Amino acid sequence: MDASRFISSGLIEAYVSGLATSNEIEELERGMAQYPEVRAAVDDCQLDMEQYVTLQAKTPKPEVKQNILRIIADEETAKENGTYVEETAIAFPNEEKVYVSSAWRWIAAAVFVALLGSLYMNYIYSGQINDYKGRYEALLSSQNSMASESNLYRTRLEQMEASMNIVKSPSMKAVKMSGTKPFPTALATVYWNQQSKEVFVMVNNLPEPAADKQYQLWAIVGGKPVDMGVFETGNKDELLHKMKSIDNAEMFAITLENKGGSPSPTLDQMYVAGKAS
Amino acid sequence: MGSAVTYTESELVLGLKARNEKHFGYLYDHYSPALYGIALKVLNDEATAGDVLQEIFLKIWRGIERYDSEKGRLFTWMVNIARNTAIDTLRSKSHKMGQKVAELGSNALASDQLAIHPSVDHLGLVKVLEQLSKEQRVIIDLAYYKGCTQDEIAKILDIPLGTVKTRMRNAIIQLRNILKQI
Repeated sequence: MDASRFISSGLIEAYVSGLATSNEIEELERGMAQYPEVRAAVDDCQLDMEQYVTLQAKTPKPEVKQNILRIIADEETAKENGTYVEETAIAFPNEEKVYVSSAWRWIAAAVFVALLGSLYMNYIYSGQINDYKGRYEALLSSQNSMASESNLYRTRLEQMEASMNIVKSPSMKAVKMSGTKPFPTALATVYWNQQSKEVFVMVNNLPEPAADKQYQLWAIVGGKPVDMGVFETGNKDELLHKMKSIDNAEMFAITLENKGGSPSPTLDQMYVAGKAS
Repeated sequence: MGSAVTYTESELVLGLKARNEKHFGYLYDHYSPALYGIALKVLNDEATAGDVLQEIFLKIWRGIERYDSEKGRLFTWMVNIARNTAIDTLRSKSHKMGQKVAELGSNALASDQLAIHPSVDHLGLVKVLEQLSKEQRVIIDLAYYKGCTQDEIAKILDIPLGTVKTRMRNAIIQLRNILKQI
C-alpha cells in the first residue's frame, strides 16, 4: 500500500476511533514508519479526535484529587521507608494498547449480538429479579435474626420476671450463705418460701465448676445433711434454681460434688453455708 | 488551577518522572476534566467514573516511566489509559454489562445519552452534535467510548460488516470538518 492508499483506506479513522483490529493496527504502524505523510495524517486525525474528547470535558468532584494525592503521598512515604510493594505487574497489563478485538472477542461478539434481543430481556428482568430477590432475602434474614433475638430477650425477660415474682412473695425467706474459710469470696442465697416450702438457690458468686463437677445444696436438719439437689451455674439468665422443698432446716450449705450429686456432702469442698434461723 | 506557573509537556514529563508531586497536581488540574469526561461518557455514571478517574491518574503516576515521548504526545498516552481503564471497567462489571446491553439494544440509535451527556453545555460541542448525524455520532461513540468491535457495530447498526470502516471514515471526516469551523 502506498501513502495515499493508506490515507484513503479508512484505516486511519478506524485506528483513531479504536475500531481497528490488531492486524489493521500492525499494517498502519508499518505505514507510519515507512511514510512520514501517513504518520502526519494519523497525528492530525488523532489531534482532532482529542479535540472532540476535550469538548466533552467535565470537572470531577474535588474529593477525587484529594484521594489521589493522599494515595501517592502514602506510596512515596512507603517507598522512602522501603515498605512499598510494587503493584505494577497487576496494574498495567496493557495500558498502551489501543482497544482491539482478539479472536475470543470476535466469537463472543458474534454470539453476543445474535442473542441480543433475548439477552436484553434476560439481563434487564433477571437483573431486576436478582436484585429484588437479593434484597428480599437480606430483609428476610435480618427479620429472622431480629425475631430470634427478640425471642431470646423475651425468654430472658420472662425468666427474670419469674425470678422476681418468686423473690417478691411476702412469705419468702432469704438465707444468705457466706463463703467458708477455704473459699472466702464465695456467696450464695437460698430463698425459702415459708408457706409452700419451696426452696430456690441464687448464685451470687461461685467459681465455674469443672465439666465433671456440679454444685449440690444441702439442708442441715437435726444436725444431719439432707440432699436438696444439684444445680448448674452456666446459664446466667437463670437467676433462681428450683431445688427440693423442705419443711424445716437449721442451715443450708453448698458443696462441690461429682456430676449428679453425692449421697453425703464432701466437707472439704463446702463453698458456702448459712444459718436458716 | 490557580497557579500562574505553566509547564511545557516535556517539563511536565520530566517532573513526573522525577516523582514531583507539584507537577502531578498541575497535570491533574489541567487534564482531569478531559479524562473525567471520557470516563463519564464510557460509564454514564458519575460515581463509577470518579473511581475510574482515580485509577486512571494512579496508573499515570505509577506508569510514567513507561511513557515514551517518541511514540506520541503525553495527552494521547493519557487518553488511551483513560479509555482502556474505563472500557475495562465497563466490560468487567456484570451490572455494567447489563447497562451496556440496554444501551446497545433497540434504543441505541434513539438514545441521546449515548452521544450527549446532559450536563454538557459547551457551545462547541453543541455545534458538533447538531451537525453530525445521529448515526455518525453513534458509530463514533460506540467504537471510541464503548470499545465495540467492527462486528458488533455492524450488528448494532444493522449494516454490512464491510461498510463499517467506510461509515466510520465518513463520520470522522464530517466530525473533523465541523471541528475546523469552531
